[in-house]
Amino acid sequence: MNSQDARVLDQNIPALDPDAPVILEMRHIGKTFGAVTALVDASIKLRHGEVLALVGDNGAGKSTLIKILSGFHQPDVGTIILNGKEVHFASPRDARAVGIETVYQDLALIGDLNVFHNIFLGRELHKRTLGFMLLDSARMRALALTYLNTMGISIPSVDSTVDLLSGGQRQCVAIARSIYSSPNILVLDEPLAALGLREGGQVLGLIQNLRRQRTVSIILIVHNYNQVFEVCDRINFLHSGAIVLDAMTSETSEEELIRIVKSGVVRAAIGAAAPGNGSVPA
Amino acid sequence: MSLNLEPKRDHGGQAFESSPAVIRTTGVRIPSTITGKLLFVLSRYREASIAVVAVILVVYFQIGSHGRFIETQFLGVVFRDTARIGLVAVAEAMLMITGEIDLSVGSVFALAPYTMGLLSVLWGVPLVLGAIAGVAIGVLVGVLNGVITVHFRVPSLITTVGTFFLLQGIAVSIYNSQPIMTPVEEPFNALFGESLFNPREDALLSWHGMTAFSSVIWAALIVAVMAVVLNRTTFGLHTVATGSNIIGAREIGVRTDRIKVYNFMIAGGLAGFSGIINTLQFSSADPAAGAGYLNLQAIAAAVIGGTSLLGGSGTVIGAFIGAFVVATLNNGLVMIGAQATVSDIFLGAGILAAMVLNVQVERLRARRRI
Repeated sequence: MNSQDARVLDQNIPALDPDAPVILEMRHIGKTFGAVTALVDASIKLRHGEVLALVGDNGAGKSTLIKILSGFHQPDVGTIILNGKEVHFASPRDARAVGIETVYQDLALIGDLNVFHNIFLGRELHKRTLGFMLLDSARMRALALTYLNTMGISIPSVDSTVDLLSGGQRQCVAIARSIYSSPNILVLDEPLAALGLREGGQVLGLIQNLRRQRTVSIILIVHNYNQVFEVCDRINFLHSGAIVLDAMTSETSEEELIRIVKSGVVRAAIGAAAPGNGSVPA
Repeated sequence: MSLNLEPKRDHGGQAFESSPAVIRTTGVRIPSTITGKLLFVLSRYREASIAVVAVILVVYFQIGSHGRFIETQFLGVVFRDTARIGLVAVAEAMLMITGEIDLSVGSVFALAPYTMGLLSVLWGVPLVLGAIAGVAIGVLVGVLNGVITVHFRVPSLITTVGTFFLLQGIAVSIYNSQPIMTPVEEPFNALFGESLFNPREDALLSWHGMTAFSSVIWAALIVAVMAVVLNRTTFGLHTVATGSNIIGAREIGVRTDRIKVYNFMIAGGLAGFSGIINTLQFSSADPAAGAGYLNLQAIAAAVIGGTSLLGGSGTVIGAFIGAFVVATLNNGLVMIGAQATVSDIFLGAGILAAMVLNVQVERLRARRRI
């Protein structure tokens, strides 16, 4: 809407502490759906405060991997280790209970409710009026406003309904909603899908803000990695159900990734992808 | 999921730096042009457009009837109709916000007071207890409608057409379709609809004068309560969430099935209450009182009052004003000498105009981002 959306990303993010503890490990995860093998042997590590990009083509297994992490699917083989302890998630509720929040592409926002009611939906604040527990909208509004400002999220008004916001603003509200419960791990499923450059910039700015904080670890599922190179600490490339590349973004470059993608193990994937879908710059 | 009352994002004593280039507007921008202001009011207060229509109609009929519209006796009739339609319209608005509809309210409207009358005539049950039983039957019908709709996944349009005929059949066959004269048990009757007002003897602001408006006073009270429920409670918030984005609401943890069943129960209860008030006015319970017409009048009132048939948005106060508009059209046109049947033409045109206006205002709102 305004020029404020096209902000320049702050590049002065201190590098991740190399001694930051590994808080999450997914080891040798395998999962099949009937005859379809979604994951063969996928292992990822996530350190405290790290922003990890999970890159891969359609059908590489990204969605399955994060749905296992968020408790929607259970792995056939493999283990999930959280803070050194093995965990099992029977449902998304279990994953939430240990601080893993996931923002899906459909966002789960309520278009007809305003921004602050969306942020507080399911955990409303009340006050007692004439003996009845009524919504304390004034307090929710004020808290949401402070909160969004602290996170550096700009929206025209917290009073406007969510369906009047732009795609990037909606994505930011959805992320803010998830962050509000102070998760340890935030999983963002294709947060840049269907967003224009400027809109995507707003979301990337928010991720960058979170990254500077180093309080929440983020797994970013992306299709098109050249957009996220600047906000990630590490990139994992998922191909045919396994991680084929694990590199710090500081030790690699976009060009190198493109070269690996072109020359190496994932040539088949590029051949299979429809030309011009922009999934991997070929 | 942990629940934080305060945002805790400054762990380690380091707060987010917000970019200085970012300008945030925290309030709602009020547009400067006249059209902009009009659209702003219409979109912010959905009741505004129907309120304007109501005022125009009253002025029109007051002039057309040479000043007889705003007279206690005539207004009393309009208000009774407003209460009868309005109570059902409010419940219908709540259901429509969740994305459902209830077409069985018409027969609950007949069955509840008929039960009350029957209990009184057959076993001498006091009307108060009979009325409670009648409302309870309405609530139970709501449970039935809700459970069939939610658990068996039958669209509520079909569910409630089914229960409409079912209850209609029960009401008509239970006592050989005989209308029942209900006894007069004061002060119960006068409190809930019977008018003791005699314009020649009583002052308007007397107890007898008040009884002429008792039904609309009850309706207004219930509308006020429902408005608070919709706008100021978690239940209301979840009602909107259910109708606006049911999948998203479920993901967040809103118990959408329960919300729907509760709203069906409210609809049944209010339809029963409306029928009882209507019966006490005349001390006569007709097993075919509501029929299908009341359903449609109530839905019309909710729709022209600004409730979307698609779910997610609506207003109970608008539905009540909508009921007043429907009642005014029905009675006012007769008063200025038009054929009774003509009022349906205006009502039909009114619904179409209201729908077009609603959709257009919504589109303009989205485009201008008011």
